[in-house]
Amino acid sequence: MIIIDDVHKRYQTDHGYGPWVLKGISITIPTRLSVGIIGCNGAGKSTLLRLIGGSDSPSKGRIERRCRVSWPMNYGGGLQNNMTGRQNSKFLCRIHGLREQDIPERIDFIQDFTEIGPAFDQPVKTYSSGMKGRLQFGLTLAFDFDVYISDEATSAGDAAFRNKAQKAFNNLTDRASIIMTSHGEGTLRQFCQAGIWLHNGQAHWFDDVKDAFAAYKETLPK
Amino acid sequence: MNNAKGFRSPLMITVTTWKALFLREAVARLAAGRSAWVWLLLEPVFQIVFLLVIMTQMRVNTIGGIDTVVWLVIGLIFANLFKRTSSQAQHAINANQALYTYRQVKPVDTVLVRAALEGFLMTVIGLILVAGASLLGYDFAPTEAWVLLGAFLNIWFLALGLGLIASIGVLLIPELEKIISFVNIPIYMLSGVAIPISAVPEPYQQWLMYNPIVHSIESARKAMSGYYHTNPNLDLFYTTEAALFTVFIGLSLHSRFVAKVYKK
Repeated sequence: MIIIDDVHKRYQTDHGYGPWVLKGISITIPTRLSVGIIGCNGAGKSTLLRLIGGSDSPSKGRIERRCRVSWPMNYGGGLQNNMTGRQNSKFLCRIHGLREQDIPERIDFIQDFTEIGPAFDQPVKTYSSGMKGRLQFGLTLAFDFDVYISDEATSAGDAAFRNKAQKAFNNLTDRASIIMTSHGEGTLRQFCQAGIWLHNGQAHWFDDVKDAFAAYKETLPK
Repeated sequence: MNNAKGFRSPLMITVTTWKALFLREAVARLAAGRSAWVWLLLEPVFQIVFLLVIMTQMRVNTIGGIDTVVWLVIGLIFANLFKRTSSQAQHAINANQALYTYRQVKPVDTVLVRAALEGFLMTVIGLILVAGASLLGYDFAPTEAWVLLGAFLNIWFLALGLGLIASIGVLLIPELEKIISFVNIPIYMLSGVAIPISAVPEPYQQWLMYNPIVHSIESARKAMSGYYHTNPNLDLFYTTEAALFTVFIGLSLHSRFVAKVYKK
């Protein structure tokens, strides 16, 4: 269960505070329910995911995670460019509290899953964006979370990898839930039951993700 | 270690994160580029040899009653410890921006770990330099080993405090970075590293004693030999006070302005 209690967020810019991105959001996301977050560009989808994942803290309000939550997976984030894929993987194993003797096994899993071959031992800055996506995906799957957070991360890689990722994601939903954003309606419908529609800094909860899409589409210019 | 639900305690998370960061930073510092570790050692060796050549040409064989070599080696180990720790700590936040995606890693962790790594590396480098100079026949047996160790820890602690302040300071006021880079040389000149403070006439010498770095370096030299004569107002606790003060200010700035790190 993740409790979001009256969360406000605004960012600091070089000229003082920016506008409020989120204005008092209170939502409880139950265990084992996958949720899609919908909204136009700049509505605060990524901000909300970063707050849920703990990569940033709210300006006001409180977020409580009563389960294991992954970091927000997104394009190219969370990788150190001058380190190799292997070094990045090792670092993540360590901060997630794996014992040193369990790390090699986990690294093998990541290496197998990403299928990037010898590039695994090259610095991440030499990777193509598809390769980065593969690595990030493998990294998240290597740890047992109750909730996985995906910020448009399902679109990484080529067709073959997307299939593989899709399968892995499907297996995941048997034991864990996903909180995700995606501009592809199909992806969200496939993985999510419930939906959150972000509009003007407010969040609206829908038990069915289809209804969230319907509400979102009504505000779009015809 | 783990509570009933399998969650790790905050202390446990912090410790494992520090360990992961330490190993990561060590790899970056020692293995990035071609034999990066050689340069870490060569820099102080070059500084010592360079100043030694100048001083022997000026027939300066002893300073304040101790051998110039001992005087220089101690001064430059301490000066490098101070400079490297504060500067590595200052740049820790930008260098690790990608890692703040993971909620286990906080900006202050990266600063603390970098300072710890620099302290560790300078301890090793210092021991190598002292061992090398001893093999060449110079007397490096301290008369007060505890004072030497205390002076070493104090200057590191001071560098950590200033590094903590600077790491957040340059985010709040970007111009600060330029100011820090050009006050480095005056600080070096006024810390008695290459120019003995005893060469400065009164009353100006008293003014130099407001600099906490001076107290650490001069205490370390005095710990090498009881015969070393320096300013009578020497007080290592003054460095301790300054260090505690800067660490306190640095940690406060981190807790108050951490949101600055996460700006879009």
